[in-house]
Amino acid sequence: MSNIAGKAYAMNVITPIRWYMTWINKLIFKTALSNPSTLKGLVTLSLIHYARWVIIPRDGFPRLDPSQPKEELNYSYMLFFSNFNGSWDQYVDSFTFAIPSGLDLFWKWNVRYPKSVPLTPFHNYIRHNQIDTAHYYNAYPMASSNDVKSAQKIKKALINFNTASADKPPEEFLNDYNKLLNDMQHHFGDMKPTPIVSLSADAVRKRYLQIPE
Amino acid sequence: MATKSGNATALTVLSPIKNGILNQVSFADITRERCLRLPIHEKSPLSKVPNTYLARLFILDDVYYESLPANDKVFNFSDITSLFSDSARKKALPRKDHLKSKYLVFSSSFYGDLDEYLRGMWDNWSYVDHEGNQRDVRHIWEYCVAFDRVTDSAGFIHYIKRCQLDASLFFNGSTDDSLQDQLKALYLKQEFTRFAVEHQGKGAAEIQQAFKAFIERAQPENLASPTWPPGKSTP
Repeated sequence: MSNIAGKAYAMNVITPIRWYMTWINKLIFKTALSNPSTLKGLVTLSLIHYARWVIIPRDGFPRLDPSQPKEELNYSYMLFFSNFNGSWDQYVDSFTFAIPSGLDLFWKWNVRYPKSVPLTPFHNYIRHNQIDTAHYYNAYPMASSNDVKSAQKIKKALINFNTASADKPPEEFLNDYNKLLNDMQHHFGDMKPTPIVSLSADAVRKRYLQIPE
Repeated sequence: MATKSGNATALTVLSPIKNGILNQVSFADITRERCLRLPIHEKSPLSKVPNTYLARLFILDDVYYESLPANDKVFNFSDITSLFSDSARKKALPRKDHLKSKYLVFSSSFYGDLDEYLRGMWDNWSYVDHEGNQRDVRHIWEYCVAFDRVTDSAGFIHYIKRCQLDASLFFNGSTDDSLQDQLKALYLKQEFTRFAVEHQGKGAAEIQQAFKAFIERAQPENLASPTWPPGKSTP
């Protein structure tokens, strides 16, 4: 089991939702999608790579063959999958502090959702409904979501700078070069495995090789 | 469509696993062990599937019973029934659900078109398992219901689509560039950061000359090379 791949943590949460209320949730998600400003709070949580909410109707679990027993469920289910940087606590707490009302809106109709404030019942709710990941793959284990976004800015600026300034006289080149470094200073940074990443990767490696902890 | 965010796609797949056993181990547990034993990072079979940003596999054994106390208006109100009898209170508790099948869950965030991505999975998913056997994507899905009918990439695409669930909301907190583009950008960020540090305080002509050599080496507009390989986990 590993919920961690490099700097990313994979969270899987499945929670029951009253089936006759799912249309409201879907409407909330649709509204959020058509009004990007409603997702502003989420955007401030720049530690997220990608996240999704999926609602499975109580009769919507895939059934591929008559030999497969048909599910008979009282509730529909909401899946929440997220890829984020940092620890579990940092993530859950940052959700609570950054977008408590948005969070409550998304989970509002879920059975026994405790609301995001205060923290302890919310922590318990997520832990209770979380499923561990068996295999987690990250295309860039050493990079955070902010690294990926910064990298694109550096790439673009570097290409533009090379086109515009590479062949200027040395003093003019240096002026432009210094300006480039100034403009990009928030986006620089050497990417390495962090201690927690190394420790977890090591634990995964040992488990994989069946070396006793 | 909520499953897309720009060029990024959220694929969510629940494949039912057959309710059976082999050598006293359930098919679900065999599948779980196969997922657990997949090599990680650069060696993960997903590193070979083009345009995979992040992906995961796990087994959904069952759903959880909501036994924790909560701020739920419906159930808070129903607690009033405890004034009358304990059995009335118990009847008002959340209902108990159990799944009749266990499900292999595959979730991927990737760049581009779904059919092309799934074809890439079928064609490129390969790894050597812990016993030294060469495996393809069929090894993971082997015990899923009706998967024995899948024999080619078209069949795999059709199968996965039958197991696919649409996302109600897909949030992209990163970029929706191709993976090749993202990896090249990360390579450039890493290399140019080092370049900037190494050339601090040097003269204009020296930096300019070094910069030209750097551009020649790093080739910022060549996405294919040099770059970071997918899943690169060490500097």
